[in-house]
Amino acid sequence: MSIRDGVKLEGSEAAPVAICSLNVADRRFGIDTKQIVEVLGAKPVRSVPLAPAFVGGIFAYRGEVLPAVSLRALLGLQPLDRPGCLLVLDAHSSAEHERFGLEVDGVGGVVLFDGSLFARSPSTLDQLGNALFSGAYCGIDGLLVQIDPERLTPRRLAETGLFDRQRKKTCKPERADDANVDRG
Amino acid sequence: MIVRLEGAGDERKSATEGLEGFADEWDVDDLTKEFLAESVEGLDRMDRCLTEFEKRPDDAELLSEIFRSVHTIKGTTGFLGFKRLEKLAHAGENLLDMLRDGKLTTNTRMISGLLQLMDGLRMILQLIEKTGHEGQRPTDHDADLIKLIKSLAVPTASDQMASVSVGNAPARIAASVVSSGSEKTLRVEVEVLNRMMNLVGELVLTRNQILQSRVDATNFGELTRRLDSVTADLRETVMEARMQPVGYLFSKFPRMVRDLAMSCGKLVRLEYSGQETGLDKSLLEAIKDPLTHAVRNAIDHGIELASIRERAGKPKEGVVTLRACHQGGSVVIEVLDDGAGISRSRVIAKALERGLIDEEQALSMPDREALQLIFMPGFSTATEVTEVSGRGVGMDVVRANVERAGGTVEVESTEGAGTLLRLRVPLTLAIVPALVVKSGGQSFCLPQGSLAELVYVPEREVESALERIGDAELYRLRDSLLPMVRLDRLLELRACDEVQGFYIAVLETDGCRFGLMVDALMSPEEIVVKPLCGLLREIGLFSGATVLGNGSLAIILDVSATAVRAGIKPVAEKATTRGGGVNTEEDQRESFLVFEAGRRGLRQERRALPLSSVERIESVSYMDVEYAGGRPMLQYRGELLPLDDAGLVLSELEHADGLVTVLISQGGGGKRVGIVVSKVLDVASGSVAPGGQLATEERIAVINERITVLHGFERDWEWRNVA
Repeated sequence: MSIRDGVKLEGSEAAPVAICSLNVADRRFGIDTKQIVEVLGAKPVRSVPLAPAFVGGIFAYRGEVLPAVSLRALLGLQPLDRPGCLLVLDAHSSAEHERFGLEVDGVGGVVLFDGSLFARSPSTLDQLGNALFSGAYCGIDGLLVQIDPERLTPRRLAETGLFDRQRKKTCKPERADDANVDRG
Repeated sequence: MIVRLEGAGDERKSATEGLEGFADEWDVDDLTKEFLAESVEGLDRMDRCLTEFEKRPDDAELLSEIFRSVHTIKGTTGFLGFKRLEKLAHAGENLLDMLRDGKLTTNTRMISGLLQLMDGLRMILQLIEKTGHEGQRPTDHDADLIKLIKSLAVPTASDQMASVSVGNAPARIAASVVSSGSEKTLRVEVEVLNRMMNLVGELVLTRNQILQSRVDATNFGELTRRLDSVTADLRETVMEARMQPVGYLFSKFPRMVRDLAMSCGKLVRLEYSGQETGLDKSLLEAIKDPLTHAVRNAIDHGIELASIRERAGKPKEGVVTLRACHQGGSVVIEVLDDGAGISRSRVIAKALERGLIDEEQALSMPDREALQLIFMPGFSTATEVTEVSGRGVGMDVVRANVERAGGTVEVESTEGAGTLLRLRVPLTLAIVPALVVKSGGQSFCLPQGSLAELVYVPEREVESALERIGDAELYRLRDSLLPMVRLDRLLELRACDEVQGFYIAVLETDGCRFGLMVDALMSPEEIVVKPLCGLLREIGLFSGATVLGNGSLAIILDVSATAVRAGIKPVAEKATTRGGGVNTEEDQRESFLVFEAGRRGLRQERRALPLSSVERIESVSYMDVEYAGGRPMLQYRGELLPLDDAGLVLSELEHADGLVTVLISQGGGGKRVGIVVSKVLDVASGSVAPGGQLATEERIAVINERITVLHGFERDWEWRNVA
């Protein structure tokens, strides 16, 4: 993992934030490093029968059993045939703090971004996208869609009711192309 | 000698988290913490002493103990600077002093006043624990209470009259069960702590040796064995440290019983035994609310008013007994009252009114089952909603709470004589023996507690092993029919395509008995239960997860939830009583055992018996069939069983070593009869054909879309003559 300077605007007041870049298929995401507890790397998770599709499984982490949210499943993609990369995240929003895992395809480097380079999601974003993402960091080589742990806690995802079990089944055939691209 | 451990109450939270949470509210210094814990303990003791004191007003020893407790609180508060607390304690101390000197006499009003004082003190202590100060809001004053205490301290003529109004003591019942600071601490013997420290030292040494040796080292086996024994010892010691006598819990009750009895206008005495029975601290907390509820119920609904008791020929004073004891790997706590008992007819009437059962079920329901109705959500038989209980959230909550702690609740009742509520909880929650099984390629843990036996069905018997009723499968275990649940199907796992042998884990829970089909058995293991996150708990089938010996994760199956999900009913239950009794078409169809009974060679007639009337299916040797007066009989379990051989199957069996299949059935009038059949075909659901009375007066049912004669409904059939 490398740390490099992203884009810095001249005369900007906002403090730079360190963003860790992630990817799922060919989509890129970014998450504030402060919100990451630990990057565990490729690690298999134990699937849980009857769990919502977005829960990739559970894994043991420092004496606790944590749920792993699969970003792939949230985006409606086919699961990978190898274990994905696991990150342990902390969400502080609610009264009780919630710790959970996020499963992605790969973890890139850490990029320093100027705070002012954050852009809110466009109004044209569909309901699903809106539920997941609030905005993106504009980098030189493209956008890093911001990952906000508070939006991705299993509890909140379940409350939105958008990512229930049915979705997985109905989406599979439609996204078949996507999955093929990923493997290739 | 004894030390206190902080944060021992909640195993789910790590120690640091617990302390952080505390520090967020306010920085409590050690001295104050110690003071709070000690004062709450003192107040608890005082509650107990006061109720005792009411019964034995001449006991000077009790009075001085009460006095000492208040005095200690007063002394320490002055030192810590809690003025409000000091003032109140001072007023109480004055009153107690006068009592001690014999200037005042004890009466109900006095005791109630003193109990109110305890509540006042307790409230301020809680406020201090929460906010760090005694409260500065305008409502935070004790002028009324102090005035009351002062008025009590004046010897008047009314002292002699015990029947003065009781004040508002009963209204505070709820306050007295609020959790207090002492639950965050735990008294542990230094001896136990020392042993723990020694074992931890041993553990560190073993680890060092393991780190320095290699897997191929000669002493590796010895090292692992030592690690094993050290871990086991350490576990045992920690468990011992967490054990608390049930008496701590019981000690809260005398006060509650007193207040409750007063507000209900009843005479109640509380007795207990087995206070020394040890139980894990977290479990003690878990069963506190259910037990409180049970005691409330016993007084409010169980014990009758004194006048009614007298009329029934019972002593005026009702008795509520709390008993605790160890039984196997669990702790049994019983709440027994000698009150009115639970009336079957009222339970049934209420269940009908609430739509929990239908008329037909109401008539056929055995007593034992009718009693179980009180555990259904939204059920309460109290004719009146009282302040204390009877809001329709009752026994179902008790059961849910106890089951969450891994326990069970049973109820026994004799109308007019009393009710017994039995809570059974495991000794500890954190570590349970379990059997690891595999299904659909995933491993699951079944707690040993609910595992009755294991059956292996080899590959060659897979096809024939299971009987079917529609989609439901049954396994004939020693000729009793066991409903089967396929774990992979229930959990929607990828099922194995190839035919192979499987295992049946026979599970028992809540009176349900069923077989769980799994692909393979792994090993029995002592597993450490880790809770799942809320969302996964909501699936409702898993009670947690664990890390297995090989480092992989396994999910712990909640056996009773599995039974409910799979639609398994308690054994005695035939009709739907759980889940509100949804009447579908399926319910109106009956299950039948379909068989053939007739001479070989002839076109076989399918016959059937209602499954509910079949007790067992036996294979007996032809040699055992004896004849009396030309009629076949069987000596079966010490009784003479007439055999019904309407199909003349017996005459077909010429060779003496042949086996005869006999259905043991409950015939008319409760008499047993054995029906000789040539072949048991199936268990299937079907319905009696409308207008099924044919000219021959046989009743016909359509089962699996085939015409089947209902056996035993013929006009005048032979076995009835025999019997």
